[in-house]
Amino acid sequence: MPTITIDGRKLEFKPGQTIIQVAQAAGIEVPHYCYHPGLSVAGNCRICMVEVEKNPRPQIACYVQAADGMVVHTQSALAREARSGTMEMLLVNHPLDCPICDQAGECKLQDYAFEFGHPTTRSPVEKTHLPKAVPFGAKIVYDAERCIKCTRCVRFTEEVTRTAELSMGQRGDHEVVIMTSKGEFATPYAMNIVDLCPVGALTSRDFRFESRVWFMDFTESVCTGCARGCNVTVGARGGRFLRMTPRENQDVNRWWMCDAGRTGYKFVNAPTRLLRPRVRAGAGAGDFREADWDEAVAAAADALRASGRGGVLADAGATLEELVAARDLAAASGKGDLRYASRVGTDGDAFLVVNEKGANQRGAEALGFARATGPAPVAVLLVERGDAVPKALRDGADPVVAFVTDAGDVPPTAQVVFPLPTWAEKDGLLVNVDGRVQPVRRSRAVGPRDLRAPTAVMEEVRLALDPTAEPRDHAGLHAALRAVPAVAALGLPDVVFAPAPTPTVAAPRSRTR
Amino acid sequence: MATSGLYPQTKVLSRSFDVKDGHTLAVARERGAYQALEKALKMTPAQLVDEVKKSRLRGRGGAGFPTGMKWSFVAKNTGKPTYLVLNADESEPGTFKDRYLMERDPHLVLEGCLITAWAIGASTIFVYIRGEYPRSIARMEKAMEEARAAGLVGKDILGSGFSCEAWVHPGAGAYICGEETGLLESIEGKRGHPRIKPPFPAVEGVFRCPTIINNVETLSHVPWIVLHGGDAFAKQGIAPDPANPRSNGTCGTKLMGVSGQVRTPGVWEFEPGITLRELVYGYGGGPLPGRKIKAVIPGGISMPVLLDHELDAKMGFDELVKAGSGLGTACAIVMDDSCDMVDASVNIAHFFAHESCGQCTPCREGCHWMEKVLHRIADGDGQPSDLDLLEGMFKSIEGRTICALADAAVWPVRSIVRKFRAEFLARMQPAPAPAGA
Repeated sequence: MPTITIDGRKLEFKPGQTIIQVAQAAGIEVPHYCYHPGLSVAGNCRICMVEVEKNPRPQIACYVQAADGMVVHTQSALAREARSGTMEMLLVNHPLDCPICDQAGECKLQDYAFEFGHPTTRSPVEKTHLPKAVPFGAKIVYDAERCIKCTRCVRFTEEVTRTAELSMGQRGDHEVVIMTSKGEFATPYAMNIVDLCPVGALTSRDFRFESRVWFMDFTESVCTGCARGCNVTVGARGGRFLRMTPRENQDVNRWWMCDAGRTGYKFVNAPTRLLRPRVRAGAGAGDFREADWDEAVAAAADALRASGRGGVLADAGATLEELVAARDLAAASGKGDLRYASRVGTDGDAFLVVNEKGANQRGAEALGFARATGPAPVAVLLVERGDAVPKALRDGADPVVAFVTDAGDVPPTAQVVFPLPTWAEKDGLLVNVDGRVQPVRRSRAVGPRDLRAPTAVMEEVRLALDPTAEPRDHAGLHAALRAVPAVAALGLPDVVFAPAPTPTVAAPRSRTR
Repeated sequence: MATSGLYPQTKVLSRSFDVKDGHTLAVARERGAYQALEKALKMTPAQLVDEVKKSRLRGRGGAGFPTGMKWSFVAKNTGKPTYLVLNADESEPGTFKDRYLMERDPHLVLEGCLITAWAIGASTIFVYIRGEYPRSIARMEKAMEEARAAGLVGKDILGSGFSCEAWVHPGAGAYICGEETGLLESIEGKRGHPRIKPPFPAVEGVFRCPTIINNVETLSHVPWIVLHGGDAFAKQGIAPDPANPRSNGTCGTKLMGVSGQVRTPGVWEFEPGITLRELVYGYGGGPLPGRKIKAVIPGGISMPVLLDHELDAKMGFDELVKAGSGLGTACAIVMDDSCDMVDASVNIAHFFAHESCGQCTPCREGCHWMEKVLHRIADGDGQPSDLDLLEGMFKSIEGRTICALADAAVWPVRSIVRKFRAEFLARMQPAPAPAGA
């Protein structure tokens, strides 16, 4: 294999690889703004310039291909001088409004200014002023002064979505990003440009001014908006789900996610969330009173024992662990069918969005659940999203024990109702549309206090029904899952979730200044 | 003007400039037009490329790249069509030589294009003319129309079996579209943003097909080379420096112009060998009455200025580089002692700031920053430290961008700032006294 020397390290490369790709693979950081592995090379930001021996001028690492015997220096005097020169140019007209900029804290301009920039400005002249707070459709706001004109957003609409809503307009230091057609973005993937923007020029209306990012808690998880299972990072603070951004996974969503998925977290923060368990106050429909968890567990066991009913109706967004726990709890009570409910959309496309909205529909099917075709009584009901399990189905299920996320979805004839944490508040496994098993993880900073994990509650009720049963934690539930051949065939990963099953609200992380 | 004692003119490209109706096919043919095409179509493309290589013809757009070598780079057997693009954008300030050719002898230009198309295997010619040249556009279109009617453009040219179409594509007023890859983007209907090279246009040019792009004057030389042979062309002008193996000399003839503060601005044709002084004082007529020449940019605006005592360099590619400047388009801009060099630098910086396409950070931000700081000095608000700041900017702009516009912005401004430092300092307000003094 041919070799290139970068900063004294001899590295092998595949022909066609650029200097930045070889460097990154070896863990050598080459600063960059306009370069993005998912987009064509624009070579315009000029921050990735490195010294290539035998070249008097610094070269851009994002474009120049590695060659056998090439010697590259990323930290030589020439490379450093080139970078700091470009940094100075980038900041000449950049507003120093970091205190009110949403990007602050995760801004590459800040990072590189800190690393390569001049501590003070040398410019004695007024900055160039450009349009601010320009709406790009209903979801995105553009600030041309913060913009460093790297064209990542333009290239995204040209190359990834092929909808070309954006272009560059004007010239020189009056160059700005413009919308090619007035009005809306046609693409349902527009908000990816907010993530792509290396600075604070493109902000999301949904997230802007919500929180400084350094106060937020970030959790790697999976979007449950549809069965694609785009890998995401959940950003939250003080119990509120604030932001979802895509996380690279070349096999699922590459670097992207859809706007509907991204903003589909609103139900998590809904003021109508069910916060306390409910038990019967009387025989009438909807005649509940609040109870503490232990009382509700005992009431659930009593009610199940009295009913002798079996069967489960589950939201297809429920995790594999919840499904297997529900299956076994219902079986401990009586005989019945295992059924799931999920929404079928019409917005599926050839890119990421699929019509199958149940985030774990494939998992439910592997576990022996069948699609619910009409109302039928069950022992256990799980409803995370009311639109996934329509009212007729959930009320018609007349459940003995219901796990429900939103108080508005409580079936009025249930005997005992437990609050169901959302996907952002629990650990578990989901199976996406391609049969890929992926974990959702509990965010420390999302959701109401003191919700118990439904798997733990179901196990407690099951033990109350059957004192000879062995209590199971996640590992035990995984063993039960592996015992199902169709599930085992999916290849369950050895995921270890954080032990504490009771979510608490994380205090905002503060930073020493 | 008396011509005795002046460096002699050699009228090859300009032979029909002063002929009545020289732009019409009838007159042009009487004067020998398209004879070279007839001869060329009987030669093989390889023979033509060889002949042009032998001629040592160098690109007349300013960069001076050997034309025959460029032609030989055209990618072959790609399964894609090959295009010839004529760069007639002539957007360089102070430059108007290609305009003379297109307005006064468009058939010479077209003949050069057709021969070149045959040599490189192109069947389509795009002539990209700057939009501010309406007469050039009209004359070139008319010439194509006449040539088409006469069987010189289109199918089976002169019964040779070679077919070639030619189209005029007017520009829309951007300097950057004179940069060859910016021009290609513009032909494709996109913003004139120069492309990163490689790939060079010869491999991947317009519509991602192999493309040869040459300047108007460059291809206008081709008919003469075909008729008289490459060796005859190479014998004219300044021979390559035998001590320098990379030197290609400045051969053939060259259109040269003078504009600015002189008595008789214009365009003339010479065998290279004339000095900048002879050009400016002899043909340009020297300074206006009562004035002295202060600074000259030898070619366009994109080269460093030379002072009056530096004008004895010959107008050749290598000679002017040695003198600290460059031949560029060989159309000199003259500034006399009434010209304020601080204002001149603001003017030049403004031009490049306005024309920067905005792609690369150093050029987009740097050219405007340069203009603003120069403006501040011109307004009397400058500080001596501003000159150091400018030097820092030059360093961060030059050689740090996709195309050469940023270099072209730095070179004239830097040379003015360095050579006329006293004028800049004189414009500044007194520096504040140090604290405690």
